[in-house]
Amino acid sequence: MKTTAHDSKKVWRMLSCDILEKPGPWRVIGLAAGLLLALAPALVLVFAAEGSVSNSLGTLMAGGFGTALLRSLAVALAAALASVAVGLPAGIVAGLYDFPARRLLLALLALPLLVPSFILAIGLSLLRTTLAFSADGFLSGFSGTAIAFAFFGVPLVLFITLASVRGISRSQVDAARLAGGERHLFGCVARRVFPAAALTGLLAGVLTLSDPGPGQILGHAGAAAEILVSFSAQYDFALAARQGMVLAGVVVILTLPVAFWLAPQLATGLLARDVPPAPLARMKRVSILGPALFSTLLLLILAMPLAGFIPPLFRSVPAERAAQEVARTLGNTLRYGLVASLLATVLGLTLAVCAGRSPKLRVALLAGLVLLFALPPSLGALGWIHLAGVSPASLDPVLRSPFTVGLALALRFFPVAALFAMRGLGTASPSWADAAAIHGVPLMTFARKVVAPWLAPVLLPAAILVFLLATADVSSVLLLHPPGKGSLPLAIFTVMANAPESLVGALCLTYVGGAAVLLALAWFTMHSLKRTS
Amino acid sequence: MTPLIQARNLRKAFGAQTVFASVSFEIEAGQHLALLGPSGCGKSTLLRLLAGLDAPDEGQLWIDGQLVSEPGRSLVPPHERRLAMVFQDLALWPTLSAVENVILGMANLKLPRRDRRAQALAALETCQIAALADRKPAGLSVGQQQRVALARALAVKPRLLFLDEPFSGLDLTLKEELLAELKTQAATHATLVLVTHDPGEALALCPHALVLEGGHIVESGWTAKLLKRPVSKTLRAFADSLSRADS
Repeated sequence: MKTTAHDSKKVWRMLSCDILEKPGPWRVIGLAAGLLLALAPALVLVFAAEGSVSNSLGTLMAGGFGTALLRSLAVALAAALASVAVGLPAGIVAGLYDFPARRLLLALLALPLLVPSFILAIGLSLLRTTLAFSADGFLSGFSGTAIAFAFFGVPLVLFITLASVRGISRSQVDAARLAGGERHLFGCVARRVFPAAALTGLLAGVLTLSDPGPGQILGHAGAAAEILVSFSAQYDFALAARQGMVLAGVVVILTLPVAFWLAPQLATGLLARDVPPAPLARMKRVSILGPALFSTLLLLILAMPLAGFIPPLFRSVPAERAAQEVARTLGNTLRYGLVASLLATVLGLTLAVCAGRSPKLRVALLAGLVLLFALPPSLGALGWIHLAGVSPASLDPVLRSPFTVGLALALRFFPVAALFAMRGLGTASPSWADAAAIHGVPLMTFARKVVAPWLAPVLLPAAILVFLLATADVSSVLLLHPPGKGSLPLAIFTVMANAPESLVGALCLTYVGGAAVLLALAWFTMHSLKRTS
Repeated sequence: MTPLIQARNLRKAFGAQTVFASVSFEIEAGQHLALLGPSGCGKSTLLRLLAGLDAPDEGQLWIDGQLVSEPGRSLVPPHERRLAMVFQDLALWPTLSAVENVILGMANLKLPRRDRRAQALAALETCQIAALADRKPAGLSVGQQQRVALARALAVKPRLLFLDEPFSGLDLTLKEELLAELKTQAATHATLVLVTHDPGEALALCPHALVLEGGHIVESGWTAKLLKRPVSKTLRAFADSLSRADS
């Protein structure tokens, strides 16, 4: 029987709006399909290399890769500890108290999350040269790499802690305050949010395992760097694939308990909005200490690496060369970011809708998102390469094109969009869909007139964030980009070893400036849309 | 004459928790019935079954002689049952203005756009909120939102009007004011089912009442008569408080 456009329209009209609030097998099927799609490239690689990893595991671990993996684990542990030690108290202060310039300082502290870690590592490296520190000093090797990774981990723990603190109800905060004053409140809140903060710190540590940049730049190359070298310098795809799978195995073993414990924490701490949070308290002491604490943090994790870019520019400003490099790569960078942000937002929203309000499905989705986000990006990228190698040339537009890069980045970063969408959907009242069902409002009309405008203030910033994260990625782009279609971060990553410091500094500053503008745009969009809706 | 609503042996459970069982009752056309009972006794769940938003686990439901729900299945979707509902949280769509809420609520009516707007404005006028037709719910007070929700329900001229605790959380003055208005509106409108845990509201609005306690219908009949010889805890407590107030 032929299905016409008219028929499909009729089907949509027949779907009642309350389907959005009802349980059904489509939810589980949708979730499983979405998560499998995101995992597909990695699974392709795993099935392709079946048996070869276990056979060569001993050889791999006995060689340089085993040592590199141990180095990565040590750095991950140090970065996780530093992130929790600094991010937890700072997050509690930001979640409980108001102080001058709080919002601005917090917005600036979000910047390191959106800038490639290797750019901050380059800043540290240039700063070390400027300050004439020795190559094996504090700002290089193990400690330098751990510090560079903590630049990312501290804000991550800080913001998750902040969100968890805001999830505590006003009456609970008041009760703790009445029971024993501010010190008692701080202790109670710290005990309450510690699990979420600790698990986020651990996640930040796990994420460092897959990041090759800082270690390579600061002279402490880890497992992820070994994979890049195997593929890009030694052109040994099989070795890179085996190393990628061993790394992924380690990441999965470390992340599974994190995902298992963190998902319920996230579900209750971040997604529940049924209690009004306590208003931010204003205290004289905090109004002085707060800005001082956050300015110091900002100085350490943003201003310090940025300061490294400036001195080389005093010697010469290679404006023309930098402009050429930016012009050459800007189009690709934007294209990758746009495709990734569009696809990631659609996939994230779809999965959030599938999870709905079911606590079990939400926890399952969150656990899946944490696990997927922690997987090494090189694993998925190598999977795409393998798939392209065994597929007919007619599939090249999907498997060997700039679109492939965008798609791979979307599958890497959609957990961010999904988290935002889950939060947005959680704030909607279930009775809106019930009322629409009773009044016979078509599902598409309800989605267009009610759901979309309601979610826009959440989804637009999510799309911008994914755009920023995707444009900052190097691992996937390095492995997947078609010849001559590199991105700006990739250009910086490629030229940093040979180009003059002034050019590297200028390109890095340009990137950080662009990211800051986009972050401001995301913030402005969210607030103006919230005001108008 | 066939009753407008016939419920036979309705049962609903959430997991292992049975909300109510063996619930049977009838509602005549034009009757104004209060569904009374303590919090958590299943009043709102029963209303959702009548509205078609949920299906019963056991039992059958007829509206106007037509079987509309049977175990595990809602045979007639909510929008084909010709009913309207004012929800406990009002369920106003926050992205639309008051008049847009009413217009979208008339999605099921086959009306030209201009007529639809005119009818929506008339409904808002009836509920004395037409002056604020272009405001979004967030820009309205709770009482004003209540009026918009009522206008949205009345605009479709339903044969059945369901009110799910529409006055909970309101102060006494506003509640009295809205009750009086609703009484005027309801008198000219269709069959009405009010879900409430406050017998005072029931007494003011509905001549008939049905009391649900412990998952069963404990008593039903004329509200005033039931209050004279109350059997259920809900009505006994209310009757006691009335006599205390009198003394």
